[in-house]
Amino acid sequence: MANAAKRFEVIPGQPRPQIAFTDVTLQLGGKTIIENLSLGVRPGEFLCVVGASGCGKTTALRLAAGLYQPTSGRVDFDGQLMLHPRREIAIVFQDYGKALLPWRTAAGNVSLALEAGGMPAAERPARIEELLRTVGLPGHAGKYPAEMSGGMQQRLQIARCLAQEPKTLLMDEPFGALDAMTRQGLQDEVLALVAASGATVIFVTHDLDEAIYLGDRVIGLLPHPGRIGIELAVNLPRPRDQLSTREHPEFLRLRRQLFDFIKAAEQ
Amino acid sequence: MNRNATVWLWRAASFAVAASFIALWQLIANLKLVSPVFLPGPDRAWTSLVRGFSNGDLGNKLAGTLEHMAYGWLAASIAGIAIGAIIGSSRIMRTYVAPSLEFLRPLPVSAIIPVAIAMLGLTQAMALFVIAFGAIWPIMLATIHGFAAVEPRLYEVARSLQMSRLAVIFKVALPSASPDILAGMRLSLTVALILSVVCEILAGLDGLGHWVLLSARAFRSADLFAGVILLGLTGYVTSVAMSMAEHRLLAWQAAQR
Repeated sequence: MANAAKRFEVIPGQPRPQIAFTDVTLQLGGKTIIENLSLGVRPGEFLCVVGASGCGKTTALRLAAGLYQPTSGRVDFDGQLMLHPRREIAIVFQDYGKALLPWRTAAGNVSLALEAGGMPAAERPARIEELLRTVGLPGHAGKYPAEMSGGMQQRLQIARCLAQEPKTLLMDEPFGALDAMTRQGLQDEVLALVAASGATVIFVTHDLDEAIYLGDRVIGLLPHPGRIGIELAVNLPRPRDQLSTREHPEFLRLRRQLFDFIKAAEQ
Repeated sequence: MNRNATVWLWRAASFAVAASFIALWQLIANLKLVSPVFLPGPDRAWTSLVRGFSNGDLGNKLAGTLEHMAYGWLAASIAGIAIGAIIGSSRIMRTYVAPSLEFLRPLPVSAIIPVAIAMLGLTQAMALFVIAFGAIWPIMLATIHGFAAVEPRLYEVARSLQMSRLAVIFKVALPSASPDILAGMRLSLTVALILSVVCEILAGLDGLGHWVLLSARAFRSADLFAGVILLGLTGYVTSVAMSMAEHRLLAWQAAQR
């Protein structure tokens, strides 16, 4: 305990972690989902979390969002104990179809976040238009989510999250339900958006290539109960490129290491 | 184009059926298969309808019934949605209160009428209470269901946006439950009409129910039928209006289908 706590004390010259898990254990229904998880995410870092299904990736993300409270240990955001979800932390859910309001148009869905942030009604339309343009949905403001493709709905959800002007963006397998081409396009767009906003990102995925392609750091979780099994720093040049980055020797080395880890974890 | 033509063909067919029923009715009346004292032909019923409206009697009665129906239904809607929202949005409330509701719901409203008369007398207040009590169930149960079925993910979105409780109700839960609520309100409309007539008959309140009762007692069968036709029309028109309102309010649902 003392050991883990020390890891996140402010070290001179090192920024305080924006999100810090200290010895976090979570039990749900008598089952230990996550055990003794300690983890710090630096401001502006892009952290990817991978692992076999059932290893607690999504649960860890929900703890980071404040949607769950740990059974023991603590989660801090900007040095403050996280007691509830907050507007500075936006979540992009995997099931975009359920996370959007079907009775509101694209503009209305983005507006929800602006309304929650207390933006005056007169200022909203311009901001909505700007956000929809940012995520590549100009001219779709009047469409209902059901009239949009999966990729467009996920863009819309990202637009709503950006409307929160988040310090931290949590993404739960956001592209898991999309086809390969749409997914690659959105990966690059997310990288560009994050680079522009400077937000910290925790990105959960089961796609190892995606994790290495996007992240500054990749963490692999082990299941039953969820704990950290591997931690890899990704020292690949930015901006990343779908072709050259994926052919980089370092990319291939990390990919091999991560695959071996997942394979070993499944046995 | 082709689909349009089919729609019109069906519409024409349904009108033909209605017309032939009226023709059959006229035939039975003309042949005096049933005594004219009890069964007027559509011609006599129509004449009576026109006469009733031209001297203002029937118009007043219609207004009375519409008033009973509207007040009872509106009271039921407001109370039903409010109570349904409270029960539906809390799992604990659903667990504790739902069994009692299941006991009260199948209770015939007619059983409540003597209680209401004993407490409130043969008054407008009694009618309002009985109509509202009968019409509240479909609305309340639909609202409970609608609030219980709100996508949990949307509540998480609301939490992460730190929306206020009031904002969550009005921007998330209520719109999400609105298809259920409107369906319940449509069912209640019929209940409200039935109970308006019953209360008018029992308490002698001004309305079509009273008109029908008096006409029957005086063997004025044409007037009786005019009243019945008007009641049928009232039910039909209010239900069509409600459907149109539903269609407008739930336009977003069309995109989902």
